[in-house]
Amino acid sequence: MSGHRVAAITRRLLHQFRHDRRTLALLFVAPLVILSLLGYLIRGGTSAPDVGVANQDQGPAGATVASALEKSSKIHAVTINAADGDAKLKDGSLVAYIVFPPAFSQLAQQSTIAPEIHLEGSQPGAQAPVLQAMQDALASLASSAIRFQPHITYLHGGPNLDQLDYFGAAFIGLILFFLVFVVTIVSFLRERSQGTLERLMASPLRRGEIVVGYMLGFTILALVQAVEVLLFSLYVLKVHNEGNVLLIFGFEVLMAISAVNLGIFLSMFARTEFQAVQFIPLVIVPQVLLCGILFPISTEPQSLQYVSDVLPLTYAVNGLRDVMLKGADLTWPSLQLDAGIVAGFCVLVIFAGIGTLRRRIA
Amino acid sequence: MSEAFAVDVDNVVKSFGTLRALDGITLRVRQGEIYGLLGPNGSGKTTLIRAVVGLIAPDSGTVAVLGHRMPDLNILSSVGYMTQAAALYPDISVEENLRFFAAISGADGNVDEVLRVVELEQRRKSVVATLSGGMRQRCSLACALVHRPRLLLLDEPTVGVDPQLRVQFWEHFREMAAAGTTILVSSHVMDEAERCQRLGLIRFGKLLAEGSPNEVRAAAGTNNLEEAFLKLSGRTSE
Repeated sequence: MSGHRVAAITRRLLHQFRHDRRTLALLFVAPLVILSLLGYLIRGGTSAPDVGVANQDQGPAGATVASALEKSSKIHAVTINAADGDAKLKDGSLVAYIVFPPAFSQLAQQSTIAPEIHLEGSQPGAQAPVLQAMQDALASLASSAIRFQPHITYLHGGPNLDQLDYFGAAFIGLILFFLVFVVTIVSFLRERSQGTLERLMASPLRRGEIVVGYMLGFTILALVQAVEVLLFSLYVLKVHNEGNVLLIFGFEVLMAISAVNLGIFLSMFARTEFQAVQFIPLVIVPQVLLCGILFPISTEPQSLQYVSDVLPLTYAVNGLRDVMLKGADLTWPSLQLDAGIVAGFCVLVIFAGIGTLRRRIA
Repeated sequence: MSEAFAVDVDNVVKSFGTLRALDGITLRVRQGEIYGLLGPNGSGKTTLIRAVVGLIAPDSGTVAVLGHRMPDLNILSSVGYMTQAAALYPDISVEENLRFFAAISGADGNVDEVLRVVELEQRRKSVVATLSGGMRQRCSLACALVHRPRLLLLDEPTVGVDPQLRVQFWEHFREMAAAGTTILVSSHVMDEAERCQRLGLIRFGKLLAEGSPNEVRAAAGTNNLEEAFLKLSGRTSE
């Protein structure tokens, strides 16, 4: 393998990107836009849903619980008339309303606590905070002799860990993988469609030199992107990190190299850029669904868990979360496995790319 | 293998499905010669050039380039190949394209010289996407010349090039041939065919006739090369 020829390919790619400002914007602005949106969605919104409270109780218990609900941070309690409740659920101004019936206190004295909880029902995610707030508020009914004071400890993270910390750790790698894959597959296909690949194949270039030259060029860009994404996540979005930043960066490097070579490999199976883009729903979307970013793998149906177990993105996401949320390092066997599998996938796709790049047209 | 011939194609057959693109073709191009491949569209000219450069594997027969049986990567550093369509990187400059193609052939490249030949010195910093079709064709030729090849394969190199520059191209080809470079060029243009030292007339993947322009005319019994071309390829001039 000639370093001179590999460097020529890498240099040419970097020249191309220097002239191609749109692609540079995709690589360096798009991740910040996506991460900012994610951050704002999770941390910027008013997470407490509006819940109506109608107290018809003739005793003191209803007022006590209603008062506790008003103080809850999980919901935004609004006093309503019970007769208006259903209409407000229908027009979407409330996700639920709670009625304390006239005999609420009387029943409570007989050890039956029976509030009426009316849920809108079409948004499963909105029910949990209502029920949680209700449970907390009912604790206020306990007699002063009994104080509910659980002692909570956290093995990892802490009470301030939120959804952005959980998703952000995985998104750092995913965004890099996705954008680098798209840019590589389209760039490599353009070599074919503009006829330059034929010219390269009629030169002394070895197939391995083409793949390594491409890999280096894209990896240089991907690493700049990785640093940008990492700094933005840690210092602007303040995504939680307990681990070594270099380990996170290491995972990003492996994901970038995988994405480049997967793009080169799959470009062999497309004839046009349009066909290349069709690999996104075929190759990327199933991995995103099954790699544990959105749904924990342990809650997937068993048959899909087998699929998740063979997807490289699963191990990349798991590794990044272990480092950032649990402070894992390379002495952890689980992290060794994650890093090993992602590195193994890198090597596999490098050889797949070299193996499928045909010198001959026919 | 002997280097007596720069290109030695021996009984090459290549089929694509039921289409026989090359049908037992044999031709030899001498060192320092300008050899013109003539033939109508689809006659097999491009397939033959691709087989010579090793991009197409013959079903049978052999191809040798500069004494090396193809495919042979090492000999490709001595071969310049210009594809029919200008195969260039549109989003980098003319000079960056030239330096790249020189570098992958392991040469420093005579960038200034080839820019002068194709008259693109003023546009050396221009991004290729901003050039006209003719300029791209000139840039593509420059990329094939930049590493000083011993064998130049040109697939219809003057398409879209204005007549004046075409004359200059051919003057340069003649100078290169005089300096020892072998040129195998496919063309439709009879005026260009006249400038070749020998011609090979191809149709249906077969070599129908071969010789100097005078020999080809004599074989067809006419003074006009175009008529000879039509006659020998089984067409009429009417």
